[in-house]
Amino acid sequence: MSENVVILMLAVSTFLGALGLIALLWGVKTGQFDDQSKFIDAARYDNEEDLRDAAMMDKKKKEHERKKKKEHERKKNYMPAD
Amino acid sequence: MQLGAQKIYIKEAYLAEIACTHCNLKFDESVMITEEQNNKKLFFCCKGCQGVYHLLESEGLDTFYDKLGDTPLQPATQSTDDLGKFDLEGFKNKYITTYEDGLCEINLIIEGIHCSACVWLNEKVLHKTDGIIEASINYTNNKARVIWDPEEIKLSKIIETIRSIGYNAYPYDPTLQEERANKTKKEYYSRILVGVFGTMNIMWIAIAHYAGYFTGMQQGFKDILNVAEFILATPVLFYSGWIFFRGAYYGFKNHIVNMDTLVSSGAVSAYIYSIYAMVTQRGEVYFDSVVMIITFVLVGKYLEVLSKKHAVDTLDGIMGSTPTEVTTLKEGIKSLVSVENVKVGDIIELKPGEKVVIDGVVTSGQGSFDESSLTGENEPVYKQKGDEILSGSICLDSVVHYEASKDASHSLLTSIVNLLEESITKKPHIEQLANTISGYFSSIILIIALLTFAGWYLWNGNFEMALIVGISVIVIACPCALGLATPMATLVGISIAAKRGILFKEATFLETMAKSNLLALDKTGTITEGKPSVVKSELFEGFDPALLLALVNTSNHPVSKGIASYLQKTYDVLDPLPLEEIKSIEAKGIEARYQGGKLLGGNTALLKASGIQIDDSSENSLFFFAIDNRLVARFELTDTIRNGAKEAITQIQALGIKVVMLTGDHEQSALKVARAVGIDDVHAKLLPQEKSSLIKTFQGNGDVVVMVGDGINDAIALASSNIAIAMGQGADVAINVSDVVLLDEKPQSIYEAYKISRRTFRAVKENLGFSLLYNVIAVPLAVMGFVNPLIAALSMSLSSLVVVGNSMRIKMLKFKDENEKGIKKQ
Repeated sequence: MSENVVILMLAVSTFLGALGLIALLWGVKTGQFDDQSKFIDAARYDNEEDLRDAAMMDKKKKEHERKKKKEHERKKNYMPAD
Repeated sequence: MQLGAQKIYIKEAYLAEIACTHCNLKFDESVMITEEQNNKKLFFCCKGCQGVYHLLESEGLDTFYDKLGDTPLQPATQSTDDLGKFDLEGFKNKYITTYEDGLCEINLIIEGIHCSACVWLNEKVLHKTDGIIEASINYTNNKARVIWDPEEIKLSKIIETIRSIGYNAYPYDPTLQEERANKTKKEYYSRILVGVFGTMNIMWIAIAHYAGYFTGMQQGFKDILNVAEFILATPVLFYSGWIFFRGAYYGFKNHIVNMDTLVSSGAVSAYIYSIYAMVTQRGEVYFDSVVMIITFVLVGKYLEVLSKKHAVDTLDGIMGSTPTEVTTLKEGIKSLVSVENVKVGDIIELKPGEKVVIDGVVTSGQGSFDESSLTGENEPVYKQKGDEILSGSICLDSVVHYEASKDASHSLLTSIVNLLEESITKKPHIEQLANTISGYFSSIILIIALLTFAGWYLWNGNFEMALIVGISVIVIACPCALGLATPMATLVGISIAAKRGILFKEATFLETMAKSNLLALDKTGTITEGKPSVVKSELFEGFDPALLLALVNTSNHPVSKGIASYLQKTYDVLDPLPLEEIKSIEAKGIEARYQGGKLLGGNTALLKASGIQIDDSSENSLFFFAIDNRLVARFELTDTIRNGAKEAITQIQALGIKVVMLTGDHEQSALKVARAVGIDDVHAKLLPQEKSSLIKTFQGNGDVVVMVGDGINDAIALASSNIAIAMGQGADVAINVSDVVLLDEKPQSIYEAYKISRRTFRAVKENLGFSLLYNVIAVPLAVMGFVNPLIAALSMSLSSLVVVGNSMRIKMLKFKDENEKGIKKQ
């Protein structure tokens, strides 16, 4: 076994582990681990319906943004008659 | 609160066998609303549950019941009409955040959640509501964050939606403490993740390392492993270990040498030594011990942060349930005024069920008030014109007008919450033995290391050699056994205590408790059961237990409940009887009709008013039962002392601990109980903050105080004591601010807690003594330059094993009752 093989093994495995670590840290930062019980309990009800629900909420949000944008543009285009 | 309601229902349903389709509570078939649907019979306990069931079904959410299983819920209550307050300006300023894009955000606490199915249902319903942009509910503390578009939906409508499915919601202000606590928690989480990752990976590289050390390894491979360990250890030391550097820095600024100093100096010196060994290719690296120390001590610190957060959660609960607006009367005109704007002298109207937020004096009307959150006594207090009303009490049965005698910020309730908040963050700190010792220890080791370096350098003039020996002193003295001494012993102590129904929330509490010399006990609910029970009964001709049971079951008064539980215990099966024209008479009793006969149950005043001759001489509470104005039964009730209270208190006093009693009750009944259990020092008629200031006085005299209590009224006193013990059935706030919880509520457990903590503390001292002895032997060897990695590894693991073994000896601790059994067996 040459030294290069050992270096390669160490580098690859540590790198893979580090990817997992970075994913976890990202999860902590974005608040995904704030609720301990959710891990266990929410998983039981996780199904297609919830996915549809999430999509629906997303749509609602986008709709609101679009509405605001329109209003904003209307305000911008409004020129008081002088 | 919700749990209490549930218990009553379950208790009253002792005969019943059919479960409500919605809430799963069991009732007798005859009292339930039945309904036929698709050839399936449905049963409901009340209109509320029926309404919720049909609402969920029509919304297609009835899969909720499959998810729920047979978990009982709180029965759905019909909504009250206080929804208007959610759209008021004062409320908006206090709780709602408005974003630039016009969206609003509020944080709510959802009441009535029992299981994860409830969370699912609430989230689902909120998601389906138009205008709600985002809604998420925390499974752990039932707090919700809702973002909505105020142009599409009003907040009152959102609250109404939650109420319509049988839950309740009230707002809280998360900026108070929660955000800060959450931030620290996240920070620790990230640091621990990095620490654990580094430690795990270095461990398996270290295995290769050690194998190589014993069987021989080429220098080339060794270098590779060294560099890999170095790369992994660096982020752990500087990112995860940052907390210790910070602690050591603050300690340095205040001229204190603490555990942080020892951990950081040990880790840094081992790290530098290892880099030196790696670069010069001489000696062994110690990166594995660097990361181990950092990670283990960090996890211990994190557990402390966790327990602090729980207390914060309940505080929000108290504040959220208080009204933000009150109804004031000015020249006959009623108006809703924000609590902050009420001035002294304003007339305020209280409706039944409302919580008082401002102190005052009654000007008109009369009624019963529940003051249990202030005095701990469950019995309602009757108030009429001229009597003082304290905030925090709840108006039970009538409309009362009163004049504000203080403004909101000076009222009792606000000052209690403020005090509580302060007490949690400023808990008196008792210096832990391990901390003190490690302080001295680390200064001495650092000095010895310096002297060693100087000595070797002067003696043989070889700088490099002197440096290696100097650092090896710090490495071998690395606080392995010292660091384990306390955690190992306390871990065993905590697990023994938990097996006996005593939950210590944090390991360090064992040590503080062992040092305590004063025990303060609350009366109601701690020494006594906290509810009246029948001690004497006189029955006359014509007495029918089933009739009396039906009568007392119509009332929630503690005396009625005491009678009901006595009847159920004494008589096997009693059929429920339908009563008519049930009337409860304010602060006196109950009146009803059964098959034309007039039933009367209540106190002396009620029966005297009906002209019935009775014997009213007794020091206990009395309850009379009359049929058609003829007395048929007389009961004497009193709050009974818990089993074994006297013995436990005598045993505790025998340990050399002073026992005092603090109570909100009258002097007379306090003295009676104190005499019965053998307490000489009694402080009666205390308000919550007076209890707390009394405890502070004790502490000022140099006493280490353990306080035992169960109610909201004890919460501040509990929070300001050195160790707070709560009864397992006590109020949520009391349990959350406490350090120790007694699950079985036995007074004997207080004595056991003392014994376990004292035994554990002895083991801690033994462990510390041993690890110091180890250092006394190992450090001189290191000073003389005899230490090689083999000796270091062996002695370190041996010393740790001794500490672990000694801690296991705590398990042999015997309690008195077990000893007696043992003797009998022999």
